[in-house]
Amino acid sequence: MGTIRMDRRLFLKSAGATAGAVAATQVGCLKYFKKGRSSAAETREIPTTCELCPNKCSAIAVVEGGFVRKLNPNPENPKSRDMLCARGNAAIKQVYDPDRIKQPMIRVGTRGEGKWKPVSWDEAFDFAAKKLSEVKDKYGPQGTLWSSTEGFQEVFFKNLGLAFGSPNLVRHPTLCLASVNLAYSATFGTVPSFDLLNSKFVIISGANRFESIITPDTMDLIGGVMERKAKLVYLDPRFTVTAAKADEWYPIKPGTDLAFILAMIHVIIAENRHSKDFVATYTTGFEQLAEHVKQYTPEWAEKETEIPAKDIVRIAREFADAGARALYYAGRRSSWYQNDFQMRRAQAILNAIVGNWDQMGGMVPNAKLPKGEFLFMPWDEPKAPRVDEIEKNFPLAAKGDGVYLKLRENVLSGKPYPVKGWMVYKQDPLNAMPDQSKTMKMIDQMDFIGVIDVQMSDMAWYADVVFPESAYLERTDPVEVMPGIWPAVVYRQQVVKPIHDTKPNLEIVQGLAKRLGLGDYFDYTIDQWVEAEFKDLPIPMASEHMKKHGVWAASGQPSYGKTLNPDHRFVTKSGKIEIFSERLQEAGYDPLPVYAAPVQPPGDRFRLILGRVGYFTHANQSNNVWLHEFMKENDLWINPKPAERLGIRDGATVTVSSSVGSVKLKARVTEEIRPDCVFMLHGFGKKSKMQSLVYNVGASDAVILETAWDKVSGNAAFHETFVKVANA
Amino acid sequence: MAIKKKRYALVIDSRKCINCKACVVACKAENKVPVGNFRNRINEERKGEYPKLSINFEPEQCHHCTDPSCVRVCPTGASWQRKDGIVLVNYDECIGCRYCMIACPYDARYFNEEEGVVDKCTFCSHRVDKGDIPACVETCPSKVRVFGDLEDPTNRIHELLSTRRYRVKEPQTGNGPQLYYLL
Repeated sequence: MGTIRMDRRLFLKSAGATAGAVAATQVGCLKYFKKGRSSAAETREIPTTCELCPNKCSAIAVVEGGFVRKLNPNPENPKSRDMLCARGNAAIKQVYDPDRIKQPMIRVGTRGEGKWKPVSWDEAFDFAAKKLSEVKDKYGPQGTLWSSTEGFQEVFFKNLGLAFGSPNLVRHPTLCLASVNLAYSATFGTVPSFDLLNSKFVIISGANRFESIITPDTMDLIGGVMERKAKLVYLDPRFTVTAAKADEWYPIKPGTDLAFILAMIHVIIAENRHSKDFVATYTTGFEQLAEHVKQYTPEWAEKETEIPAKDIVRIAREFADAGARALYYAGRRSSWYQNDFQMRRAQAILNAIVGNWDQMGGMVPNAKLPKGEFLFMPWDEPKAPRVDEIEKNFPLAAKGDGVYLKLRENVLSGKPYPVKGWMVYKQDPLNAMPDQSKTMKMIDQMDFIGVIDVQMSDMAWYADVVFPESAYLERTDPVEVMPGIWPAVVYRQQVVKPIHDTKPNLEIVQGLAKRLGLGDYFDYTIDQWVEAEFKDLPIPMASEHMKKHGVWAASGQPSYGKTLNPDHRFVTKSGKIEIFSERLQEAGYDPLPVYAAPVQPPGDRFRLILGRVGYFTHANQSNNVWLHEFMKENDLWINPKPAERLGIRDGATVTVSSSVGSVKLKARVTEEIRPDCVFMLHGFGKKSKMQSLVYNVGASDAVILETAWDKVSGNAAFHETFVKVANA
Repeated sequence: MAIKKKRYALVIDSRKCINCKACVVACKAENKVPVGNFRNRINEERKGEYPKLSINFEPEQCHHCTDPSCVRVCPTGASWQRKDGIVLVNYDECIGCRYCMIACPYDARYFNEEEGVVDKCTFCSHRVDKGDIPACVETCPSKVRVFGDLEDPTNRIHELLSTRRYRVKEPQTGNGPQLYYLL
């Protein structure tokens, strides 16, 4: 013991930072010790998979006396890196939320009035089936719209829409990451992962990775920046946590990131710093690129971006010198500007010419794992064309996901055909889509709206019938393979029995299918489905393993360089990495990214920009009591200079108005934003009284955001709205 | 046979903290902390003028001091310290006088209105006694905190404290705080 004590004294002394810390006297007396007030209830630990956001982190639920007491991170999942964020920890309160929908409900007042009749599941199913059949009789199956967002049970909902005969499935990507996915696919034939664990030099345009948590990227990047001496350059009009942790932050003029990237490419090619072997072996169109970027000098880019030319030159050099371990990181919610696709394409091209493809510390094509499939009875493909006319308007976009904003325009105009029935699963279009008044008009013209959700979202509040889904901790879900640098399989199993009269989505789908004469297509149980999926997993005793561990990951190091073989055919038209894209040219788009200066707000207006914090990402999280404690209402960030000009004081209520709506918010006068922008957080100002903590508190960004989209992907452009701000 | 002596402490690398609040919610669940009360928190320091700005985050909770003033002032002995350094409140002895809350230089204690007692971070002693680490340490995405035994020379906190510069908060109080902030 003596030697240990000496050790401690030694290191404390040598570090020399404190004098008071060495006192080792034990204080306190144990004589009054009594046993704590612990309950004798049985404790069980059940592995499962979080559903509070799309990261799918592995968690171990601690269940005491039938209640979920705690969720611990499960270290076996390499993607979630042995962590659970605030949202993941707060999932318990999703189950025990007093605002939960406790039984199926049918609307009795007008839409949105909040008058509901609790009904039996049979009544709810009969009602919805009758209404859906009426719409089908009148307008055909294409007269129904099936909206959903990512989730393990989403497949059943989509299948019901398809079996019903509707081509009109519409999913979240065009409100999220469609442009980045399409840009990387157009260049590399696939969307890669970014090896931030091993990168040496990372540039990020606006993807606020330390507040918008993506696994494993957030953890790998903070480790890289703080422990492994990676350099982070970050561009954002707002001083986010990512900006605070970056080595260099540039408050770039909004919408000009493409100019910065093109100038970087200009410098790298002009100074012959690109990876010549890689470019020659694996890419096509480099010569056209070299010619194309001659116009984009750093001096020109300085005028566009407000980033000094000398910094652009230096950053370009440092980036190229880091070579295969340099990354221009893509980010996720890439729905910002109308040139978003081309901006992401330029990033992809910049990454390609430094040769970071399929390299440690670079971009890595995702490794996949096989999974079994449950063979269900197939249905006839829907015959009608999609209502968003995706083939005509966005020929390169992902057909199965649809294009949300164009779809809304067409539904509102009734062209090419009327859509009068709307089924929604796990999504809140009223808050997810810009221009809430337009979404409200879309609601108004529907003959029928049915919503399946765990909680009474704003969309559910405006529905005709609400089907309460069991929370993820109350359900068993299909198995999910998560491709990536460290691929894994995750399984979500029931932790506790549903505490209210709720059902898993599959059973809701089955209840509807049966009454719609489609029961045969859904004639299986979740257990049969899951067992079929377990079958082809590369795991001995897969079923037992997944139930015991909740996750399986291949051991060992990632395998880099599998596609680095001159004979490898990329899934592109040329079989090469396409710097110049003939496919884009044929579809009528710029084959190389062409810069056009974005319109900037006139003097009396600000550009509205959006973002997230670590404890709220989705609109469905702000009513969680354990998260709500950190922020009770959202506010409007405004720089002190314009605030002073407008006489706006910190904490004062201001009116923020655009061409489509106006909201009232408290002002946060802060240095942490450009003077020409204002910022507000997503997820507040709810219309649903069953979101009691945030009902009518703060404001919803959806009210003032205007409709705009990226031309190629159809992705919503959320940063194209100019607003007026005035004291209320 | 001598029982091996332990002395628990926390080493905190604040630079890695991204203010995500995972530690705060994990603590809330693990220790049934009432809404409105917190056993740990993240202090924020925002400085500068656009565009020269900085933000520093600093997680904080009970420092489990070697000579804790909260224990000294407690009139009933409800605030006490285990031999391994963990400072606890014996709820059955607590009369809710809140002297300890005033005596604590770190504002680490809160009054639990429901129970009528003062409460605070326990280093998750119920987990530690089973060989686990505190909930805040475990759940953290960027692994800001490292929990360990200062008496165990093989523990990682030894390596950190002997190779990195660090500071403690309010050393002048003589409390001997055991939260070590890496510089």
